[in-house]
Amino acid sequence: MDVDPRLYEQIAVNDTDVHNIIMSYLVHNCFKETVESFIACTGMKQPSDYLEDMEKRKRIYQFALEGNALKAIELTEQLATNLLEKNKDLHFDLLSLHFVELVCSRKCTEALEFAQMKLTPFGKEQKYVEKLEDFMALLAYEEPEKSPMFHLLSLEYRQHVAESLNRAILAHGNHPTYTAMERLIQQTTVVRQCLNQEHAKVIHQTFCHEYLVQRNSKLH
Amino acid sequence: MGGVEDDEPASKRMKLSSEALIHLSNGSTVKESIVGSSRDLMARPLQSDGGEEVVGSKGVIKKVEFVRIIAKALYSLGYIRSGAHLEEESGIALHSSIINVFMRQVLEGDWDESVATLHNIGLTDEMIIKSASFLILEQKFFEFLDEEKVMDALKTLRTEISPLCINHGRVRELSLSIVSPSHCFTVRSPKQNTSRARSRTKLLEELQKLLPPTVMVPERRLEHLVEQALGLQRDACMFHNSLDEEISLFADHQCARDQIPSYALQVDANGISLKHKLSGHQKPVSSVSWSPDDHQLLTCGVEEVVRRWDASSGECLSVYEKAGLGMVSCGWSPDGKWIFSGVNDKSISLWELDGRELECWKGQHTLKISDLEITSDGKQIISICRETAILLLDREAKVERFIEEDQTITSFSLSRDNRFLLVNLLNQEIHLWSIEDDLKLVSKYRGHKRTRFIIRSCFGGLEQAFVASGSEDSLVYIWHRGTGELIEALPGHSGAVNCVSWNPTNPHMLASASDDRTIRIWGLNNLSAKQKDTHGNGIHYCNGGT
Repeated sequence: MDVDPRLYEQIAVNDTDVHNIIMSYLVHNCFKETVESFIACTGMKQPSDYLEDMEKRKRIYQFALEGNALKAIELTEQLATNLLEKNKDLHFDLLSLHFVELVCSRKCTEALEFAQMKLTPFGKEQKYVEKLEDFMALLAYEEPEKSPMFHLLSLEYRQHVAESLNRAILAHGNHPTYTAMERLIQQTTVVRQCLNQEHAKVIHQTFCHEYLVQRNSKLH
Repeated sequence: MGGVEDDEPASKRMKLSSEALIHLSNGSTVKESIVGSSRDLMARPLQSDGGEEVVGSKGVIKKVEFVRIIAKALYSLGYIRSGAHLEEESGIALHSSIINVFMRQVLEGDWDESVATLHNIGLTDEMIIKSASFLILEQKFFEFLDEEKVMDALKTLRTEISPLCINHGRVRELSLSIVSPSHCFTVRSPKQNTSRARSRTKLLEELQKLLPPTVMVPERRLEHLVEQALGLQRDACMFHNSLDEEISLFADHQCARDQIPSYALQVDANGISLKHKLSGHQKPVSSVSWSPDDHQLLTCGVEEVVRRWDASSGECLSVYEKAGLGMVSCGWSPDGKWIFSGVNDKSISLWELDGRELECWKGQHTLKISDLEITSDGKQIISICRETAILLLDREAKVERFIEEDQTITSFSLSRDNRFLLVNLLNQEIHLWSIEDDLKLVSKYRGHKRTRFIIRSCFGGLEQAFVASGSEDSLVYIWHRGTGELIEALPGHSGAVNCVSWNPTNPHMLASASDDRTIRIWGLNNLSAKQKDTHGNGIHYCNGGT
């Protein structure tokens, strides 16, 4: 590409676009108060149906993040019926969160029973058998934190499941599942990589640093 | 226990004490606590003639080991009393007392005790102890599951098996099997087989494979040694040419010469009656070959065309030619669907049966009147490309390999399993090359005479164990392929023997063609003369002439 990338400085940016991007991000992540105050500050139109659901989604997300999967499932069923039936992977992941809770609290018998009742029915399909094996392996160790599957007990895993649930609920309500912000960052990163490859440069700076920190040359 | 294998002279050997330290031949040490009963005492002190006791004329068999494997064989055959009697009479115990205890505990399911005993055997390798413990506890686990004692099984897994910290993959499988006791998963059959506890005898066998052989003598060791000896005898037998030879243990196996075809069954001068005369070639015919289905013939005129004939009607079906060029050799594809031929511009052409040219390889590929063969899987084409080199061309990979010789190559022939190539050289040697992975010279065969003409050799016999060749001294030479030894030089012809062909289906029959204008069929002395066609897939060449 022979075009000078700094040509982007010539492009005009629409304020409304920016507001929408920010709004979509806030709504996706259920920052209710921030949404309200943002609307007040910018005079944007308030998307009506979002707000109610946002509160419910927020609670569901929190429960999932804490590991209280049963509550999360209950509320999800209320908010979006049949969602979990249609998303078997998600359903399994949520149930597995509960299983992990039981294992962590060393309630082995309960964990075993729960697994036998709720998780093994998924085992009829091959792809779940391996996942099931992963979780069952946790039971084999007296200190699951030291087992090979310790990552299943981590916050990252719970975050991953909670986010998948959030996206599924949004999709169920025909809302976009990815925020514009996420997409923008993803696309920009790809473009940067391409450009840097062309000029045989290695990307040293993180996205943040590249765009949010003022470069020395621009200070003067 | 009598397992004293000591490399040091008698004076240094440990005396009897209540806790004897025994050095085993594999370098590990076994600590033994001797229990009071007479059966468990160490062996009576061996003759102090210095050194260990040996049996056999070569002095390589240790007596104690010998007796132990015999005892093991007796027990395996079911002769329990004989086995016990042998142990008593010889004073050499098959297994030390602690091993006997261990084995009993395993068979009776005293798992915890057996694991404890395992630690007392005195093995030095930690991994073996852990692996053996794992196997035993696994059995305990599965037997609990079988008895529906799920929580007990889980407890065993958590508190006894996992802490061993080995074989985590297996631990995963075990955890899964807790929740799938009734085979409720559809797709997983190979693993299903292990989800039920196996028999304790099988467990013992697995343990015995794990433990060093001096501690627990392996199953069927004596049988294995005998089979090994028989195998070696068979390989060394130079005249071995029949499948139904029974090998007896009472005498070393050695076939008599009578398995090699050495008796002229039939001498045909004009014997084979003329069926057809195939005319059409304008030049001398240099080669002829049967199609794989034996219904057609392919012939090549010297630097002329290639013709395809129907063998039963004698009709010429196709002519293959290239404008301005002449063919020098020809052959069939293994499936009979196409033919290939060498061309005098040093290329090789491939043709459909109907005459359409399929492919053509150019370059230093063939000389005039040269051998051209294809492997039975159709993948490699082999031809002489220079005076001293043979080209192996992989059709698919388009890779060329070369066999290089110091002498001029006159002819070659390919073994039926595509693994070997026999190369005839100007200096009267026949070289055997392995062509499977790396090209390697394996053997040389000498003795026959070749000075003026092209002589052809071939593989033959059961599993192509022999190499046969014609010779200008009118004898048919036969060597054992493996050892390179000349076995037979058959007289009978009165002129140079140009070509031999061993019957591909009957290992006891050989055909030879000679300048004395006869063809001889050779067989075994005691067989009635059977006229069997030997063409099959072979290529037969006649020296010059039509």
